[in-house]
Amino acid sequence: MAVVTLERISKRYPGGDELAVDDVTFTVSDGEFMVLLGPSGCGKSTTLRMVAGLEAVSSGTLAIDGVVMNNVPAKDRDIAMVFQSYALYPHMTAKDNMAFGLKRRRMPTAERERRVAEVAEMLDLTPYLGRKPHALSGGQRQRVALGRAIVRDPKVFLFDEPLSNLDAALRVSTRNELIKLHQRLGATMIYVTHDQVEAMTMGTRICIMNKGRLVQVGPPLEVYRDPADTFVARFLGNPPMNLLEAAMLDGPAVHVGESTMPLPPRINPSRLPRAGGRITFGIRPEDLYEHPPADITGRTAPLPVRVTSVEPLGAETLLLVVPDSTEQEIVARVDRNSTARPGDRVVLGLDTSAAHLFDSDSGVTLDRH
Amino acid sequence: MRDILSARFLARTGLLAILALYTFYSAGPFLWIASMSLRTTSEISANAYALPETLHWEKYIEAWTGSNYGAYFWNSTIVVVSAVLALTIIGAMAAHCLARYRFPGNRVVLFVIFSTLIFPPQITIISLFQSLVEYQLYDTLLGLTLVYIAIQLPLTVYILEGFFARIPQDLYDAAKVDGYSHWEIFWKITMPVGMPAIATTVILNFINLWNEFLYAVVLITDESNRTLPLGVQKFMGDQLEDIGMISTGLMIAIVPVIVVYAFFSEKLIQGMTAGAVK
Repeated sequence: MAVVTLERISKRYPGGDELAVDDVTFTVSDGEFMVLLGPSGCGKSTTLRMVAGLEAVSSGTLAIDGVVMNNVPAKDRDIAMVFQSYALYPHMTAKDNMAFGLKRRRMPTAERERRVAEVAEMLDLTPYLGRKPHALSGGQRQRVALGRAIVRDPKVFLFDEPLSNLDAALRVSTRNELIKLHQRLGATMIYVTHDQVEAMTMGTRICIMNKGRLVQVGPPLEVYRDPADTFVARFLGNPPMNLLEAAMLDGPAVHVGESTMPLPPRINPSRLPRAGGRITFGIRPEDLYEHPPADITGRTAPLPVRVTSVEPLGAETLLLVVPDSTEQEIVARVDRNSTARPGDRVVLGLDTSAAHLFDSDSGVTLDRH
Repeated sequence: MRDILSARFLARTGLLAILALYTFYSAGPFLWIASMSLRTTSEISANAYALPETLHWEKYIEAWTGSNYGAYFWNSTIVVVSAVLALTIIGAMAAHCLARYRFPGNRVVLFVIFSTLIFPPQITIISLFQSLVEYQLYDTLLGLTLVYIAIQLPLTVYILEGFFARIPQDLYDAAKVDGYSHWEIFWKITMPVGMPAIATTVILNFINLWNEFLYAVVLITDESNRTLPLGVQKFMGDQLEDIGMISTGLMIAIVPVIVVYAFFSEKLIQGMTAGAVK
């Protein structure tokens, strides 16, 4: 059980011009499942490796339970890590792999055997304990790697994209097992992934990173509903949030395509540009309706569009449309019974209460925070 | 269907013929020496290629006892086993450092070590001779052992560094997180995982040093310090070459090489890193 605190952490590799991690600050509470999410090269793995003690911290303070860890070697931090490649020792059996860390801690043999057997039972690994990694399937190797971390009973668990080498079906089931495991152990966990579904489903909170910087931290749904900037808006959600160039009008209102819309209620008026200024208008695909339901008709604005493509997915249908007077293609997630055809002209209902406004230069949200 | 089968049969036969030819080419001289080791020099002079009529096993006893072969064998064993042991440990440690740690001049050090391979032994042998005399190591087994370590170290480091560098970094990170120190990681991860490469260098160094003649003939003079290759030379007189005894001596010398190869080649072939990652 532990609290992990990162305060103004930066990382510069020798000979590197840019910071791999730039001034990152966040705290992982005791028992929390924190997900570090971001595209490749955003610094999330480097941040995790600094917590593990596998990379030196260039500046800032890293603490576990209030004790500064900057210069404490990995072996003395009492953390366990599960790697993307599993990193099982090829010359040892599954059992020896799991017991390797315990041997180092001079745990009595009987106690060690008991712990390994207990965790193997929990992970359905008992029949495979005598096998070496090359004789195990991908899923079994993954579980041995997980078991190796669990037997240690560490203060903090670190996961570096542990599911990305598994096939799709196994990934979903292992994801669920990890969620249950966190509930059972109640341990502090930091989990790195570039998969937004993993982040949304597993994390108590998500910490989104881009280009070495921390962009936003918060519970998954909060981050999804109130993205801090256009990067988060596009990164979370599949299909991502539609972003359209818009103009400010007096009123105040915004002009998007052929439509004029009132400002969403949560906008901070003091941060808006003057009338005539450019602004980025964001709307999620599920907030565009072909036939708006009765309960939201009062707050929808009409958006005339031309349908360019129809993608029926079974449970829903995606319409790729171009709003009139614009060149930009956007996506609407509509009812599966939609009869729209490419080339049709339709008027979509846009839920104005769900719209977002962003500064068109910096991309930062203009919502009230 | 029949065409495919006959094509496959022809390909098989061709391949077998090539392999048989190559086996004969490489094993032929060995079998020839083996047959000569059981024949006397006068029998060999009469017909060099004939098979032994009577098997003169007593020649082995004669070589071992009458020609001081026991002492040569023991000297060779001491020198080569200690040199290979030292080479394996020192070479693996150096290779581990060069492969795993980033420090200024890392590649320069590797290049300097490797570049010594290009010098032919004749260039350094005079200065080596002088140095050994200076340190009172001339004509000693310790002196020869140190020279053997020095001449084989560059190749050992080079082979091991190439292999160690390909061991996934995650294994080292996992061991660090599991609580192991750099020293323990070297012994518990690098050495066992790098066993195929280590077996390769053990075989290579053992064969090279067991057969080594040039340094031994220059740096050893005393009869009691001679190694096996010098012992074989004893049968070569100025006027007469005792071919039969030379063959017997060679066969005795070859046995340890075969034993070492048989023991380590299995490790060599084992793909021990299979299943390490992914």
